[in-house]
Amino acid sequence: MMRRLLFSSLALALVTPAAAGDIHGKVVCKGTRDCADAVVYVDAIPGKSFPAPQAHEKINQQNLVFEPHVLPVLIGTTVDFLNSDTVQHNVFSPDACAEKFNLGTWPKGQIRSYTFKKDCVATLLCKVHAEMEAFVVAVPTPYFAVTKADGSYRIADVPDGAYTVKVWHPKLKATSKPVTVAGATDTAFEIAR
Amino acid sequence: MPTTIRLACRLAISAAALLAVLGSFSPASAVPVFARKYQTSCQTCHIVFPKLNAFGEAFRLNGYRMPAETEEQVKETPTSLGAEAYKKTWPSMVYPSSIPGHVPIAINIKMADVYSSSVDGADRSITRNDFQFPQEVNLFTAGTLGEKFGFLAELTFEEGAGVSIERAQFTANSVAGPEHAVNFKVGMFAPDLADGFQEMWLMTNNGIDTMFAYDPIGVRGGTGVAEEPNGISIPASVKAIEFYGVAKHRFFYTVGITSGLGPVPATSGNDPHSGKDWYARFDYKFGGMGLDGDTTGKNLPPENWRENSVRVGVLGYQGTGNDVAFDVTDELGAPFGVADRRYDRVGLYVSWFWRDLNVFGAYLHGTDALTVTDQTTLAQNKIEPAYDSWFVQADYVIRPPFQVSLRYEDLNPGDPTAQSIRLGNANFSYLMRANIKLMLEYQLDLQESKNYNLAAVLRFAF
Repeated sequence: MMRRLLFSSLALALVTPAAAGDIHGKVVCKGTRDCADAVVYVDAIPGKSFPAPQAHEKINQQNLVFEPHVLPVLIGTTVDFLNSDTVQHNVFSPDACAEKFNLGTWPKGQIRSYTFKKDCVATLLCKVHAEMEAFVVAVPTPYFAVTKADGSYRIADVPDGAYTVKVWHPKLKATSKPVTVAGATDTAFEIAR
Repeated sequence: MPTTIRLACRLAISAAALLAVLGSFSPASAVPVFARKYQTSCQTCHIVFPKLNAFGEAFRLNGYRMPAETEEQVKETPTSLGAEAYKKTWPSMVYPSSIPGHVPIAINIKMADVYSSSVDGADRSITRNDFQFPQEVNLFTAGTLGEKFGFLAELTFEEGAGVSIERAQFTANSVAGPEHAVNFKVGMFAPDLADGFQEMWLMTNNGIDTMFAYDPIGVRGGTGVAEEPNGISIPASVKAIEFYGVAKHRFFYTVGITSGLGPVPATSGNDPHSGKDWYARFDYKFGGMGLDGDTTGKNLPPENWRENSVRVGVLGYQGTGNDVAFDVTDELGAPFGVADRRYDRVGLYVSWFWRDLNVFGAYLHGTDALTVTDQTTLAQNKIEPAYDSWFVQADYVIRPPFQVSLRYEDLNPGDPTAQSIRLGNANFSYLMRANIKLMLEYQLDLQESKNYNLAAVLRFAF
């Protein structure tokens, strides 16, 4: 009887996913025109790791601008850099956490790739066009979102539990705080210079 | 004193007074470039342009940036000359910077109807009514180049003087030490030596010639204001390298090295001095907004022209003019050569703001070591005349559009036989719009009531 009950419980645990909600809310940015491009993400969860995704992410270089300007990815993700301009572009990063990679220059229509292997805020620059700038933020969990201009964000499918949620912004100081997720969870942040 | 000499002296004094009365009009310095950049009114920085309020002074000293400026305050997005992150790559790559998003040009125009009266050698009054349309047109460009650098230039057309470069300066801010502590500028500019009373910071149309345009050159020392536009007292404009800064929010200093005083030979256009002059000024401000815009612990009134504060400063200027030959004649027409071997100026500046009133003034004491050479006999005479000059001015905001100013100027020349110059100046300003003002200004020679001028001035900037 006890053995049957144990097997039943185990089977139920395997077929029923843990209750999942989301983390949503607003980030208030002090000192910038708007609050776009802040990355809100769940920090490393002790005892839990996430396999690197097979699918590649993409950053496009078009009209002398990196698009998107900020791209959060799970550690281990490969990012493809596509040149959509008629001029040659380059992508390099001065950051050690991204091995200070330099992908060289390549023409329109071609792609070069880099895999972000570590927890890293990697600045992306183009040596050909000094004003171009973008960021890949490699984080340890797949629970992340980028804020809209009004600072709003939503991280979907976050299992219920207690986490540390961090916020990073290209120009403002990063912040973090503990968040307990129970269903849809509203959490606000404020970041400044 | 023989009658002829007395008459000659009187003529000289009248001429000097006349020059003072008809003297230079203040160049423009309100720069609507910044109104556009920040999408803000002129009155954010000016009580009545070009006179600065405390915030405007902090803005100026901060290299034409808002105190603790944030990105959202800059409404005209600058054009990037390199992504911010390029800082990490220096010196492998060029350090990032930016330029104004639009061509930063502004224009200031002054129209004046000047009614003037003066006395000629036969003690007759000569009056004239002069439509100076325009009296002056100024073309400005100004802005910031990234986080540390800035520029400002002004091209001026002035009636009777043609076109000239009034200013052309490059500034670097907070280049070392704490924020605001060490800045420098290089170029042609109004020196901070005269901050607060140089013409470009006055609400009046007339500048204070008795402070800047005194001419110490003469057989017995100077007799009055010079015909040279920059004078030989303290310079209203310099070609210099100047270090300046604000420490602890309230202490201001400036030290500059500059081309020497006196005329520049028209043939070469080069500075004839073998050495350079230097100047310095040290100020402290009690109360009100900090000189760097700091408002910590201050409950400032919403009327941004008001504050209760006192700023005091000491200033000095020193140089040598051995290499500059001044040719003068005595009262009888005999030719003399004069060299100003060394000139020293020391002064004091005080500015007191109390609610709608601002009373400020400066005192200057100058000495000149002159070598006077009789060109006929070649006999040399070494003299060290001293002069004293001071002014006091009261500006009052009746209501923001209506403001008045009263000024008294006094100059005791180095030549003991020359009479002092005393001038009164009254101004009524009507700020029709933040960038358009009408002024009525009356200036009187208090030694000779027939020497005066009355000007109606329309000035606007955009």
